Amino acid sequence: MPDINLTIDGHKVTVPAGTLIVEAAKTVGIEIPVFCYHHKLDPVGACRLCLVDFSPGPPRPQTACTTPVAEGMVVRTQSAMAVQARADILEFELVNHPLDCPVCDKGGECPLQDFTFRHGYPTSRIDGPRLHFKKPIPLSENIALDRERCVLCYRCTRYYDEIAWEQELTVAQRGVQSFITSQFDQPLQSNFSGNIIDLCPVGALTSRVWRFESRPWDMTHTESVCSKCAVGCNTTMWQRRGQLVRITSRENDDIDEGWICDRGRFDYTDVNEPSRLRTPTIRGAKSTWADALAATAGGIKGKGAKLGISLPADLTNEEAFLFRRLLDGPLKGAKVKMHGRTAIPAPAGPTMPIKEIDDARVIVVVASDIENDVPIIDLRVKKAVSKRGAKLIVIYPEGVDLDRNPHTVHIRNAKGAAAEEVRKLSSHELLQNPGGPVAILFGDGHGSEDMNDLASACGALAEQVGGKEMPLYRATNERGALALGVAGWDSLDGVEALLSWGPPPTAGVPTSVRFLAAWDHLPRDGYDKAAVVLPATTFAERQGSYTNLEGTVQFLRPPVAINPPLKEAWEVLNELGAALGLELDYPGIFPIQRDAAAKTPALAALAQTPSPEPVTGPVLVGPAHP
Amino acid sequence: MKTTSVLSAHLIDEIKALPARYPQPRSAVMPALDLAQEELGYLTPEAMTEVATALQLDAGYVEGVATFYTLFHLEPIGKHRFYMCTNLSCTLRGAEELVEHLRGAIGVHEAGEVSKDGLFSYEEVECMGACEYAPMCRVDHRYHYDLTAEKVDGLVAERRSPAAAAPLSSSPLSPTLPPERGEGDKPKRAPKKKKADG
Repeated sequence: MPDINLTIDGHKVTVPAGTLIVEAAKTVGIEIPVFCYHHKLDPVGACRLCLVDFSPGPPRPQTACTTPVAEGMVVRTQSAMAVQARADILEFELVNHPLDCPVCDKGGECPLQDFTFRHGYPTSRIDGPRLHFKKPIPLSENIALDRERCVLCYRCTRYYDEIAWEQELTVAQRGVQSFITSQFDQPLQSNFSGNIIDLCPVGALTSRVWRFESRPWDMTHTESVCSKCAVGCNTTMWQRRGQLVRITSRENDDIDEGWICDRGRFDYTDVNEPSRLRTPTIRGAKSTWADALAATAGGIKGKGAKLGISLPADLTNEEAFLFRRLLDGPLKGAKVKMHGRTAIPAPAGPTMPIKEIDDARVIVVVASDIENDVPIIDLRVKKAVSKRGAKLIVIYPEGVDLDRNPHTVHIRNAKGAAAEEVRKLSSHELLQNPGGPVAILFGDGHGSEDMNDLASACGALAEQVGGKEMPLYRATNERGALALGVAGWDSLDGVEALLSWGPPPTAGVPTSVRFLAAWDHLPRDGYDKAAVVLPATTFAERQGSYTNLEGTVQFLRPPVAINPPLKEAWEVLNELGAALGLELDYPGIFPIQRDAAAKTPALAALAQTPSPEPVTGPVLVGPAHP
Repeated sequence: MKTTSVLSAHLIDEIKALPARYPQPRSAVMPALDLAQEELGYLTPEAMTEVATALQLDAGYVEGVATFYTLFHLEPIGKHRFYMCTNLSCTLRGAEELVEHLRGAIGVHEAGEVSKDGLFSYEEVECMGACEYAPMCRVDHRYHYDLTAEKVDGLVAERRSPAAAAPLSSSPLSPTLPPERGEGDKPKRAPKKKKADG
C-alpha cells in the first residue's frame, strides 16, 4: 500500500494508506482518547470522544477513529475547537456515571478516569439525579455488569459479534435508556466471555473472581504464558502478597492477538488454595525432601516395564528433558502416559505458523472441536473468515460454533472416517481454485480417528492443493514432549509402581499399583495411603518453557515466588536422579536449557537467553485541563 | 427432540420464507417479530427464541431488536390497542382530554395497563402523520380521525361486542389500510377499496 504523508500537531507522519487518524497519531506519541474504538474491532464512531479538527475538512470536529488519513492532511488535536469538543463529550459521558470510583475495581486503570484527568473539565456541573440501574448484575459466574458505569461504547457487544461470533450479549432498549444485557438475562455461555472485561474502558464489566481482591497499584505483574492448552497465549499474571490474584491477556499478534479464553483467564484459584501441599510426606507423615526422594527412588528403581510414569499436560520442556534423561538411564523401559495429549504424531517437517491462518483463502478444519480444544485458534479462524473473506470447510461429526457462519461448509463425517472425507476434498469446488494459501488444521477427533491415516490424508491434500498443515495438539507442551520422546500414550494397567507427576492419571491410579509416588500441588483422595507425596509448584511459580502447537518456545515467568520447602520441578528431578544414581548435577535451569537445546533440534530456542520482560509502551500524555 | 412450540407451525413456515425477500437475511427479523406478535399479542422470550431459530439468528440479536422498538410489546397487552397521538397538533385539539376519557372508558390508570377483561390497553405515541385530522389515534392497524369523546366510546363499544372480538385478519406487513371516516367528511381522493373493519 502506498504511504501517505500528513501532519499531526506539527509532526510529520508517514503511514500506509487506509490508516485511521487515531492510529497515525499513536506513531508520534500523541494520545487521542477513545472508548468505542479498539484496534482489533471495526471502527464504529459511537462515543465521539476522539474528536479532532483537520483540514482540508469540514469546519467542525470529526472523529479520528473513523477517518482514514489523506495526503497532505493537517490534523490538529490541540486546537481550541478539538480540545473543547472532547472535554464536552467527556462531560456528557459523566452525566450519568456514578461516583463510585473508590469501590470500583477499574479504579486506577480506568480510561474514563485517565481521560477525565487529561482531557476533561476539572469540575463537574452535574448536580441532578443520575440514571439508576440495579447493580451489580451477574452476567455469568465470572463476570459482573454494572449498567450505571457503562458508557455504551459497544466494545463488548461488537467483540461478541465480530470476534466470537456470538450474540448472547446485546444492547436492549434505545437512546439514553439503552443498556447492555445478556440474552433473556441468562448467564453467558461463551468460552471467550472474559475478554470483555479487558475490553471494557470503564468499570462496567468486572471479574467476579477478582472482585474486590486488590487495587491495580497494589499488584505486581509479570508477563507469562498460559498453561491451559497448546496455543500458548501470552498472559499477564498479577500477584499480591504471594497470591496470584488475576490473569489478563497480553497481545502477541503472532499467537493470540490479545484474546484469551475463559479457562486461561479464570482457572487459577487452585494456586491460592489454602490446602495446597507444602511439605513432602511419606505415608501421610511429614518428612524431609532427602528422605522422601530416597523413598521414591527405592520404590521405582529397577522396575523396568512394571513402572508407570504419568505426566501432566503442562510438563515444561525442562522437566521433559530431565525425564528423557531418567528414561534413558535408571528408569529405562518404564511406561509413560501424558495427560490430555492427542494421537497426532510428531511433525515431520515445519508446520504452519498460527499467524498464517490470517492469509489463508480456504481453511479446512478436520476432526477437531477447536472451540474447546484450542480456543484462540478458533478465534483466528473466525477472523480470517469474517474479516478477510476466507472460505471455511469443517469436517467433524457434531455441530461446532463455526457453523454460526451460514457459508461454512460442514461435512459431518462418520466417527473414524475423517480421513476418507479429507481424501474426497481435493475435488471440492472451493479447493479447485483457492486463489491463495490453503490452511489445513487437523486434530485427532479425541481419539476416534486413525491418526496415521488422517495425517497422511491431510499431507496428501496439502500437496494437491498447495496447502500448509497445522496439527492441533491439545496438551500444553505436547509438542515439546514429543520432540523429547516423553509424550507417551502407554497403558498404565498392570504397573506395580507409579510415579505420578502432576495430577493423578485421568482414569485413576491402576489397582495393580503397590507403590505410588505423587508430585502434586493439591491433596487428593488416596494420597494419604500413597507411599510418597511430593509438593509441587504450579504454573504461577514454575520456571521453564513450553513449546506451543506451532513449535514456538515461550518462557514462563513466575509471578509468585517459591515459598520453601517447595522446590522447583527441575530441582526435584535433579535430586531424584541423584537418588537413582544418575548424576544430574545441573546447578540451575539455564544449564538444563542449554543442554536440552544442544541435544534436541526442536528446542534450539531454549539456548537463547530469554528475552527481557517486554517493555510496556510509553505513556501517552495528553493536554492538561482545557 | 420436538417440544411444544408457542408459535403455530404455519407461522413458522411463513417466517422461514421471509429472508428470501431481503439482501441481508437477518433483515427479516422485523416482519418476523411482527408476525409473532400478531399471533401472540406480545413477544415472550420463547417466541423470540423460536423466531431466532426459524431465521437462523441468535436469540440475543432478536431480543435486542425487539427491545429497541416500542411497537414490539414485551409485556402482555390488551387484545385491542389504542395508540393515542399526543403530539403537538393532536394535543392542541384536545388529545390529552381524550386520553383521560379513554382511560375511564376502558377502566385503566396508566399507559400499558391492561383492562380487566383483557380487551384493551393504550399507549401515547408520537405523530403518526395525520395531523390534518387531529386529534387522531390508531386502533390495532387502523387510523381513526377527528376524534371526539363519543367516537372513542364508539370504538370501545364496537370492540366490546362479541362480533368485533375476532382478531384482525389483515397482514401486518401491509399496514397502509384505508382510513375509516365518518359521513360527510370524505376527502376528494377517497380510498378506492373500502374494507370492512373487522
